[in-house]
Amino acid sequence: MIRVIQSGLFSTVQDGGRYGYRNIGIPHSGFMDKESAYAANTIVGNDKEESLIENTLKGPTLLFNDNYTISITGGDFNPLINDFQIEMYKSINVKSGDTLKINNTINGARCYVAISGGINVKSIFGSKSFLNNITDPYYLKKGDNIKINNNPNKKMILKNKLQFKLIDTINVFKGPEFDLLNIKSKKQLFKNEFTIRTNSRMAYNLEERLEIGIKSIISSPVLPGTVQLTPSGKIIILHRDCQTSGGYPRILQLDVSSLNFLSQKKINDKIKFCLINL
Amino acid sequence: MKASSKTYFILNENSILIQYDHPIDSELVYTISNDKINIEKNIKDCIFEIVQSINSLLVIFDKNKVSTDELISELKKTENKEYKYFKSNKIWQIPVCYDIKYAIDIESLAFDKQLSTSEIINIHKSKVYDVLSMGFLPGFMYLGFTNENLHCERKQTPSLDIKKGSVGVALNQTCIYPQNSPGGWHVIGISPVNFFDLGSKTPCFARPGDKIEFIEISNKEYQKMKKEKSLKPNLK
Repeated sequence: MIRVIQSGLFSTVQDGGRYGYRNIGIPHSGFMDKESAYAANTIVGNDKEESLIENTLKGPTLLFNDNYTISITGGDFNPLINDFQIEMYKSINVKSGDTLKINNTINGARCYVAISGGINVKSIFGSKSFLNNITDPYYLKKGDNIKINNNPNKKMILKNKLQFKLIDTINVFKGPEFDLLNIKSKKQLFKNEFTIRTNSRMAYNLEERLEIGIKSIISSPVLPGTVQLTPSGKIIILHRDCQTSGGYPRILQLDVSSLNFLSQKKINDKIKFCLINL
Repeated sequence: MKASSKTYFILNENSILIQYDHPIDSELVYTISNDKINIEKNIKDCIFEIVQSINSLLVIFDKNKVSTDELISELKKTENKEYKYFKSNKIWQIPVCYDIKYAIDIESLAFDKQLSTSEIINIHKSKVYDVLSMGFLPGFMYLGFTNENLHCERKQTPSLDIKKGSVGVALNQTCIYPQNSPGGWHVIGISPVNFFDLGSKTPCFARPGDKIEFIEISNKEYQKMKKEKSLKPNLK
């Protein structure tokens, strides 16, 4: 078991996600930065989509009540075990009584803590990913006890060659309503830099607006990575916990990797859109 | 419906959007419902899920098992098959309390439409609606189509905390909020029914193509029915 001694800003259990229920309005959820989460799981010998702990901007302090093998990947939150700095992207053996402190981010917005065996929480609609109104609890609080599964067949990797990188270029495809944009708006989209104004698991809102918005459309399917434009010109990039349909025009769609890069962006970080073809 | 009235839009590496160029009506809901089942029956293994909406289908697939081009040609093949899987004659009766205490936007809507609140209520409950699509929130249904006298834009500024069960109108549609949520529809009533049951294998009782009828209840009846935690509606 692992005890939450001090909660982080927003720490949740996430796995590969909840697929097959968008038809009744249930989002995919799952790791925001899949690439980092896959690395964390692989290092400790888990299936890459196994449940782990996702931390946002400031992590929790965790007390281990047993011996475990763990790994930390994603953004650098200066993780300490018993006050000693530890290496990321590496398997680490912790003993009962050890504490892991995940500090404030130094770079990146999300970091991942995988524990060999994965987390033992109830699976709802095929996933352990926390989500408000679907799972209770939906974030980790001080005093919570996290149960860990056994992993008898673990094949661990000592150190992963992957290194964490921050990437500012977000690759996008044309969205279904792309052609409703005028030439000026298209130019603005691909010439200018955009600043992250808010960031959550549901959506990223951008600071800069397009001069001309587009009228709402009939409610249509959206996905994580769908870029919406509101009638007032606001740009919203939907992320893993986004709703399943929406009425704002879908001007762009992020490619699968760029959605991972975006999830490491914080408020005031800059991004640039780059149009690519499928 | 002619096959040519569909277009295939590649949304990203693992999703294809099938868009229907057809007036939005009950016939389209049936066509899309049929197409969804037809695809599910004929293309197996490589599709994660198919999301049904009012005038499109979103096909999310496993790109390790099939390429986009291959899948599109498979999807096109299914167009030629004769099929009629989907039939629904279910009419769900949804109790609604139109009391001003819960119908927070009914007066402003009545003012805009130059109708009385009781006219709004009568117009709203006198139609049987199609479940056009589900989505947005778990258990949220898009219901169409409202009488022309109720057509309206979404609210300029969305309400931040709409109560669970609230019945809304916007555009040519009506809806029920299955949970507390922000939202932009004009709220004209509230229902004690539970529209999303986490504990059930089928968390939503209705599906696209079913019909919904609103039955007016008093505030007193609403209070009484609300006490039942997982209230299901009756079938007509």
